[in-house]
Amino acid sequence: MSEVVLSIDKLSKRYGRIKALDELSLDIEKGNIFGILGPNGSGKTTTLGIVLDAINATSGSFKWFGETPTKNHRKKIGAILESPVFYPYMSATKNLEIIAEIKSASYDQIPEVLKTVDLFERRNSKFRTYSLGMKQRLAIAAALLGKPEVLILDEPTNGLDPKGISEIRDIIKKIASVGLTLVLASHLLDEVQKVCTHVAILEKGKKLFSGRINEILKETLYVEVGSPDMKALHASLSIFNKVQIVEADDNVIAVKLDEKMDSSELNKYLLEKGISISHISIKKKSLENYFLELLAESHDKTS
Amino acid sequence: MIRLLNIEFKKVIYNKTFWVLLGLYGIILGGILIGVQTFINELMVDVGKDAPIPVSKISLYEFPGIWQNFTFLAGNFKIILAMIVIIIITNEYSYKTIRQNIVTGMSRMDFLMSKLLMTFVISLAATIFIFILGFILGVINTPEVTFLMIFEKTVFIFAYLLELFAFLSFALLLGLLSKRSGFAIGLFFLYYYVIERFINYKLPDDWGDFLPLRAIANLIDTPNTALMKLFGYNFREVVAPQDVIVVLSFTALFIYLMFLILKKRDL
Ligand SMILES: Nc1ncnc2c1ncn2[C@@H]1O[C@H](COP(=O)(O)OP(=O)(O)O)[C@@H](O)[C@H]1O
Ligand SMILES: [Mg+2]
Repeated sequence: MSEVVLSIDKLSKRYGRIKALDELSLDIEKGNIFGILGPNGSGKTTTLGIVLDAINATSGSFKWFGETPTKNHRKKIGAILESPVFYPYMSATKNLEIIAEIKSASYDQIPEVLKTVDLFERRNSKFRTYSLGMKQRLAIAAALLGKPEVLILDEPTNGLDPKGISEIRDIIKKIASVGLTLVLASHLLDEVQKVCTHVAILEKGKKLFSGRINEILKETLYVEVGSPDMKALHASLSIFNKVQIVEADDNVIAVKLDEKMDSSELNKYLLEKGISISHISIKKKSLENYFLELLAESHDKTS
Repeated sequence: MIRLLNIEFKKVIYNKTFWVLLGLYGIILGGILIGVQTFINELMVDVGKDAPIPVSKISLYEFPGIWQNFTFLAGNFKIILAMIVIIIITNEYSYKTIRQNIVTGMSRMDFLMSKLLMTFVISLAATIFIFILGFILGVINTPEVTFLMIFEKTVFIFAYLLELFAFLSFALLLGLLSKRSGFAIGLFFLYYYVIERFINYKLPDDWGDFLPLRAIANLIDTPNTALMKLFGYNFREVVAPQDVIVVLSFTALFIYLMFLILKKRDL
């Protein structure tokens, strides 16, 4: 029996004219190591911020453990949202005492979690004096306080040097092996691929794919279709349940075919619908390539 | 509630700015309250030289008058406490710890409650400070102390507590609104010394008494010392119920606005 830990239903968030999240639906089950993968600005932090009550959704809803969310659910969740955040003038221990106080957790766990992230020796140094890697590790220690059932890590290796990155990944693997539910948001496919069992791919606030991680690596047949009447083509394809639209622009629509389908069957369907086809071609593409393309695109835009 | 307050104490205990400002407040206010009598009497001797009627030395420290004298004087220094409160709230925004507090498991209302509790504790501590100082100086300087004398006008102590809490709630609101300490403190001074005075000037007659900071200042009127009488003034020696009601209403409004801001705003 799988138990849904977090269920997100048509969540949307607007910032003025920007749609940061667009009707996102997602289920995360108990024991999943769930990756949320997407280029910068795709809505990962927004999603996590909403389910942690830091951000108000414009519409849609979510449930924790099948219940309407309250602060008590959050006490069972350990989370890092974006950069590590602590009181700079206080030591690691004192900062963790505040977290323990909020979570109604015992102070006895503090040395233990500090050891897990290898910060015990530096427990009495002020947070301000920490390097970025240490700050990130302290954030993980804080998230581990109160023995959470769910751990949420948002870009835990962002901005770190290679040594820092490998330290954090080791910690994540260690945590992931104890069987709690882990949600890892990242723009790095490599990172998600290494630790996650499940993944959802976001782009511009929309979900492109969600499922088991091994599916993302599997090559799939894609068919690109073009027509003089793109509107009609799009309409026909979107109601056809044997294909899934993965990309659409003004000239061509790319669809993923069902396992037992081939392109001639698609051709036949479109002819029956009375749609003239100006272009049809078969492409082999893995979601990995697809994701990398997306990334490249978003990098072009930012650089 | 105890837990929320405990969390607030933990945040504040290692915060140097907090202690520096609090120490400054205690030293300045304590020094002035202890030295004020000597200062005024020196002044009186000067003024008295040319006065048509003889001016007697005054005692600010005698029960029961001391309560109004002290709370009135102390009221001028509450701006330092307002700065402390502004820093306490804006720190949470500049460090982004408000977000962490909520994500970790506080509700937004818990957060507001913890800040209001801290504001109340600061108000209470400042009130107790005045009470203790007043009590000691009063006992030393009142010729024949009776129990009744001591407690006759302690209503001013309660009025002072209300004055502080209302004033500091306003500071908390500005801090929450602007998120940045410098901006909030600037806004506070601008409103306190310019905007509200200007509005008051434009309003007909007594309407200004319904402005928040003015109403708060009205709670405790200027004491009627011999000096004041010399200049022909006659001030209220009681706390007016109207002022109490206006101030309580504004405090409730401030708290409600903070509630709305925290509920609606992304962190
Ligand atoms: N406070 C904000 N105001 C305006 N736009 C925002 C704000 N926060 C995020 N956005 C926008 O929302 C989109 C999603 O952002 P975010 O969730 O942070 O993406 P990610 O975490 O995947 O990098 C981006 O286009 C970003 O610019
Ligand atoms: Mg992000």
